[in-house]
Amino acid sequence: MVEQLDFDHVDVGHELCPLRLTLTGEQVARYAHAARLQAGRFMSDDGARREGLPGQIAPGNMSLALFSRLIGQSFPGMRLRHLSATFRVPLQPRQRITVRGVVTEKHVSDQGSFLDCDLVLESEEGERWVTGTARVALPPPCTAASRG
Amino acid sequence: MSLQIDRALLGQEFERVVIGPVTAEEILEYIAATAEIAAPAAGADLVAPPTFVVRARGNLFKPPRLGEIQLGFDAGKDIEFGVPIRPGDVLTSLATVHDIYEKTGRSGSMSFIVLRTVVTNQREELVAVVDQRMMYR
Repeated sequence: MVEQLDFDHVDVGHELCPLRLTLTGEQVARYAHAARLQAGRFMSDDGARREGLPGQIAPGNMSLALFSRLIGQSFPGMRLRHLSATFRVPLQPRQRITVRGVVTEKHVSDQGSFLDCDLVLESEEGERWVTGTARVALPPPCTAASRG
Repeated sequence: MSLQIDRALLGQEFERVVIGPVTAEEILEYIAATAEIAAPAAGADLVAPPTFVVRARGNLFKPPRLGEIQLGFDAGKDIEFGVPIRPGDVLTSLATVHDIYEKTGRSGSMSFIVLRTVVTNQREELVAVVDQRMMYR
């Protein structure tokens, strides 16, 4: 169960409850199909070897989806405004990974309430395979008036 | 050795594609594959997860005028999100070369090309701006 946070109850430095998972080759292929990225390297080990790679890899975009999943589960009702990722090492199936996030900024403006987060997808050994950032718009903080 | 790229390519549109109408089945398939958002209840208003927009692209991974350089690898993406995608939306994806730059690292010189894809819907609302950084050696 992932914790669910709101703007009032999260501070800079707060670490989001991490996602820990191991992607199967079938999950990667299913994502590649759903994302219209059906290159052989994403579909199977055989397909990857035909492209000169040692084995199947996940599309970089799948890491973005995992980052978005972490943010969405942590902040219900949020709207993702910006998401970035740097792909340092190709994500491979059958490896245990952890997706983490930490709140780095918190601000309110006429446009709404926003949180910035740093994100990382890392291997079991703690090697950073994908790093990223997100900006999230949240429902406005509760006020005495809005509480009625 | 640095990559010689004609900087006149900057800002030039190299691909424009129209995708859709987006179907509920496509959105549900994407949700099932990513668990990016919870599967919606039957009859609920269906909205695509944010990163669904990465499907809205053409088939070219580099401008044809780049010539003979070998395709590099995807070094990263930046997405600025606009309005969400819903079933029935028709998306127009317009790709340009947004930036070209070089970096020197421990393993030598690397060239980056930033391909910008601007996605709009049938109401001409901005859906997303996707910057993809491709690396070439």
